[in-house]
Amino acid sequence: MNNEPVDVLIIGAGASGAAIAWSLLETKMRILCLEQGTHLSDKDFPSRRNDYELSRYAEFSCDPNVRKLKQDYPINSSNSSITPVNWNGVGGSTMNFLAHWPRMRPSDFRTKTLDGVGDDWPVDYYDLEPFYEINDRNVGVSGLSGNPAYPKYTVPYPPIPIGILGQTLAKGFNKLGWHWWPSDVAILSEDDNGRQKCVNAGTCDLGCAAGAKGGANFTYWPILENAGVELRTDSRVREIQVDKVSGLAKGVLYHGSDGQLHHQKAELIIMACNGVGTPRLLLNSKSDLFPNGLANNSGLVGKNLMFHPLTGVAGVFDIPMRGHEGPMACSILSQEFYESDSSRGFVRGYGLHSGRSTTPMTYALGGYGIDNPIPWGDEHREIMDNIYPYLAGLTIVTEDLPEEHNCVTLDEELKDSDGIPAPKINYRVSENTKAMIKHGEERAAEVLLAAGAKKILSKNDDKVWWRAGWHQMGTCRMGHDPDKSVVNGWGRSHDVKNLFIVDGSIFVTAGAVNPTSTIQALALYIGDQIKKNIGTLFD
Amino acid sequence: MWSEKEKKILSEILDELIPANPDKKIPSAGQLGVVSFIFEVASKTPKLQDDIKLVLEFVISKADKVSPYLVREMERLHPRAFGSLLTETYKGYYSRSDIRKKLDLSEKPVHPFGYEVKSESNEYLKELTENVRARGTVYRDPTGGFR
Repeated sequence: MNNEPVDVLIIGAGASGAAIAWSLLETKMRILCLEQGTHLSDKDFPSRRNDYELSRYAEFSCDPNVRKLKQDYPINSSNSSITPVNWNGVGGSTMNFLAHWPRMRPSDFRTKTLDGVGDDWPVDYYDLEPFYEINDRNVGVSGLSGNPAYPKYTVPYPPIPIGILGQTLAKGFNKLGWHWWPSDVAILSEDDNGRQKCVNAGTCDLGCAAGAKGGANFTYWPILENAGVELRTDSRVREIQVDKVSGLAKGVLYHGSDGQLHHQKAELIIMACNGVGTPRLLLNSKSDLFPNGLANNSGLVGKNLMFHPLTGVAGVFDIPMRGHEGPMACSILSQEFYESDSSRGFVRGYGLHSGRSTTPMTYALGGYGIDNPIPWGDEHREIMDNIYPYLAGLTIVTEDLPEEHNCVTLDEELKDSDGIPAPKINYRVSENTKAMIKHGEERAAEVLLAAGAKKILSKNDDKVWWRAGWHQMGTCRMGHDPDKSVVNGWGRSHDVKNLFIVDGSIFVTAGAVNPTSTIQALALYIGDQIKKNIGTLFD
Repeated sequence: MWSEKEKKILSEILDELIPANPDKKIPSAGQLGVVSFIFEVASKTPKLQDDIKLVLEFVISKADKVSPYLVREMERLHPRAFGSLLTETYKGYYSRSDIRKKLDLSEKPVHPFGYEVKSESNEYLKELTENVRARGTVYRDPTGGFR
């Protein structure tokens, strides 16, 4: 294995690692990406198999503790009300994400100033706006321009169909005079550059064998590999090493595909391992200079973990909603209750997302990411024949606020297949979020009834979905003050001048939208800052 | 390794878990032969094998014939084993392409063909979003939109 020094070493081949590699192509620097997982071809995706649904509970589960593949690290979630989900491989979690693509809104970057909670970001919406646009083109985003919930922007491709389900719900929102809009999606509505448009298969979580979904495996990586970026798969970084004299990162120790431990030197190291994997690696990279973990002089590595706690409400309609047809999570999105309103009894807000139904097996087993099977017996027959086909649902996606007690630490007992300590999640849902969920459940029921639902199905408790940990944010937050943040306003570690972080861990607050659009825009922004500051990068 | 009697009892249990709908010509789980799926999974999963044994021993020790009451008792007294059986029954039943077809889904793998969903016309979307657009912006901009 050739371990010659490289200019740029990126750890992780997911959304953010791919985006920043693309941004840095023009520098002509030698770029290497180490990825702990494999590079699957679309032919390996289960939706081409007859029993495709079974894979959702086995090798294509969103939960690494279920998949238990060699490249998956276990996660101890015994002290958490939500467990993280992910994909470890080229494309990262864009392999099995659902491609809902809303941007964050201007107020999301200024929650302290506007609402007295969280903290302000060192960047704002308009800093990221040009990078949202570049990224939307690179990824292939479909949607309807003119959404009044955002400053003006143009969506590159026309919207995907919202379907009978989306149309029905939209009419309910219209009756109440509430905001809604066709969802922006990282899914092609037209064929483009060798990628096929969406065929409405409804299995976005199983890899998208059409290539319509804008996973980094289909968008950035073909370009990157053609341009000479080296992608080394089955390569798990054990530790980032620092030079005792300069205090700079000098390289990494990693377990290669040959089963051996290797040294890889690099001038610049970029971490793109997501909001759980990045703090895990930093906390596992202890040295005399950094006894509490690399880049952790602030003590904030792993702290302020944020998810988007979710719950759902469904309505039963008179006509079939055909919810299994079309992208799983993307039809329409209401942001009526997104901004703070003190009369509601909570601060900040939430979105109402109209996901489509899942396939029969997944519905029978409790819903996507849920292990709570529906009743058996005559009731089962009644539900599957007379309720399931007529369902339309709304998912309440709440903004989580940063709290230091919600954190990623290490479990020294639980280890991955290379013997590296696993992350432990310590997380509880806040009272503010519980109030949001209650409010959201009531509003969702209201709009479903306005849309014509004859019956409402709701849990009516404050529990959130267990496998709601898609969006892992805040564990290496960005900021100007080295005592209150891990990286600066352009992703560079305050403590280690040649170490950058570009994934969701640098988010200061979470917003109430799916974060991948912002994660990639932020990675492109950081790439741009690196290029602008190249002469004084390590000063 | 499973006797004919055990296969028969398990099939009857499955009929209780997912009954048939004769009006729609949808078979029960037992009629569909989900027993074979469960035995196959159990042959690779010792824990499930133990759970199935426990379930069968319980039923055989209580009665000659399976009834809803007996299945409820099994659920109450052996919730973990019952839960495993229920999960695998749902998986075995709904992974069948013939059942997907009965529920109006494609019986084929969803790729490469997927489903045909008609796009809404621009005119229709314009009409549908008219009220939303008429209301104007619904976001706060701390910069006032200016830099």
